[in-house]
Amino acid sequence: MKLFRQLLFAFGSAWQNFWRNLAVSVAAVVSIALILILAGTSLLLGHALGQVLDSYRHRVSVLTISVADKTPLASVYDFEGQLQARPEVVSVHFVTKEEELKSFASDPRNQQLIEQIEGNPLPAKIEVKVARLDDVKRIDALARQWRGVDRTDPTDYKGDFITNMLRLSTWLTIAGLGMLAVLTVASVVIVMNTIRTAVYHRRQEIELMKLVGATEWFVRGPFVVEGVMTGVIAASLALGLLLAAYRPFVERFRAELFFLPLSYDPRFVHVLAQDLLVAGAALGALGSYVGVRRFVRL
Amino acid sequence: MLIAPEFNSRPVISFQHVWKTYPNGTDALRDICLTVPEGDFLFLVGASGAGKSSLVRLLIREEKPTRGRLFVHGQELRSLRRRRLPQFRRQIGLVFQDFKLLPRMTVHENVAFALQALGESRRVIAHQAGAALETVGLAGMERSYPNELSGGEQQRVAIARALVHRPRLFIADEPTGNLDPATAWEIMQIFLRINAAGVTVVMATHNREIVDVMRRRVVAIERGQIIRDDRYGTYHEALPAAAVRLR
Repeated sequence: MKLFRQLLFAFGSAWQNFWRNLAVSVAAVVSIALILILAGTSLLLGHALGQVLDSYRHRVSVLTISVADKTPLASVYDFEGQLQARPEVVSVHFVTKEEELKSFASDPRNQQLIEQIEGNPLPAKIEVKVARLDDVKRIDALARQWRGVDRTDPTDYKGDFITNMLRLSTWLTIAGLGMLAVLTVASVVIVMNTIRTAVYHRRQEIELMKLVGATEWFVRGPFVVEGVMTGVIAASLALGLLLAAYRPFVERFRAELFFLPLSYDPRFVHVLAQDLLVAGAALGALGSYVGVRRFVRL
Repeated sequence: MLIAPEFNSRPVISFQHVWKTYPNGTDALRDICLTVPEGDFLFLVGASGAGKSSLVRLLIREEKPTRGRLFVHGQELRSLRRRRLPQFRRQIGLVFQDFKLLPRMTVHENVAFALQALGESRRVIAHQAGAALETVGLAGMERSYPNELSGGEQQRVAIARALVHRPRLFIADEPTGNLDPATAWEIMQIFLRINAAGVTVVMATHNREIVDVMRRRVVAIERGQIIRDDRYGTYHEALPAAAVRLR
């Protein structure tokens, strides 16, 4: 019961102090909101880039091996079995010459061409889907050594493209992590100092609490609750602004760079809301906890 | 020579060869030996910087002794763990020269605050805060703010706050320092009533008139040492009767 009353006191006191020190509260909300807007923007950009990269990654993670016309079916099945046995291979799909022609003919852009060709010049194909882009090169080398491969156009391996994409992906991950680290440190420092200012204004109250026998957590509780409250309000503000800008940004981007596979992702909105609210609450709580520590210590 | 008074009841405070040395090497207190029995009323006198405030800070465990042993309510304060400190301080009522009231809180809130910190229920808080304010003669002023009160009234609120959790030991650091003589006497009457109820009172003061008129136990400190401990003392050492006649 005492614990419940102390919790109630912490919430009541936090709410009261938030409004009583409105100027400091607004400063804290604005600083946290700015940081979260930056973090949210980087998350959104990261997600958009991820969408584009994923789409390309999907395309290049499937290696198509052309099969020479006179290759016996037994040899194809044998090679297919070899590929399937490899751990880096997700799936193997054999496409016969007839299936390939059917697929080619079904594309309206090829209608004129299909009328001009005689017989079936298209080779049979083995489509190999690999788990990681780095493995495509190894499968390509293996395919080129296979006797049944079409020597004129063995595979559709795009080595440079994959290498560049892997490099870009690595750099983007490093840059994202670096930015996240900088933002986290900056935000904790800003929040800590803002809350320390709020605490400094109330040092007499804290001093008194300690002298009348309040425990450290009783003194700290209202500040931490106030920090969480400030963080959640800031996160809601940041989220509102980011969501208002997200759809227009995607539409504008698609209008300008139509060839990039970027789209508005409503599922990501939930992820973003969850991340920002948790980050806001955590930042507020951590900033308050650290900011108040020096004054609260008995 | 220092002669400790005789006591019949158990000690509330016991300094045993206590030293307080600050990091710059200054000895604020030197070899303090002092016993305060339950129900005593003790004046702590001495010039500014003599060591009174250092002694008070040790008593409320704002600071630890550098050497020696200090017992309050049977607890040795040098070895008292940090997590036990709140419990320890709840047994002490504290009053300061500058009242230390929270300006944004009403009189009632200032007094109730001490009980809220202990997690008491609203009913207990309302009852005890009301009783404490009645004891100091401020019933009916619960809704006022500190800046609407006189100095004497503010000190009464501070006393009510110190009283509200029913401490067994009352420590006052210059409680009349900011008050006019008439108001200071009113405050002293409250302290006497508190002491009459069995609460031990330790008061650091510069107020010579009050000490001389009340004739309670006086402990004088000079340069960090106790130089006098009189059962019914005065602010300055009483001159022998012959010396007074010669004057």
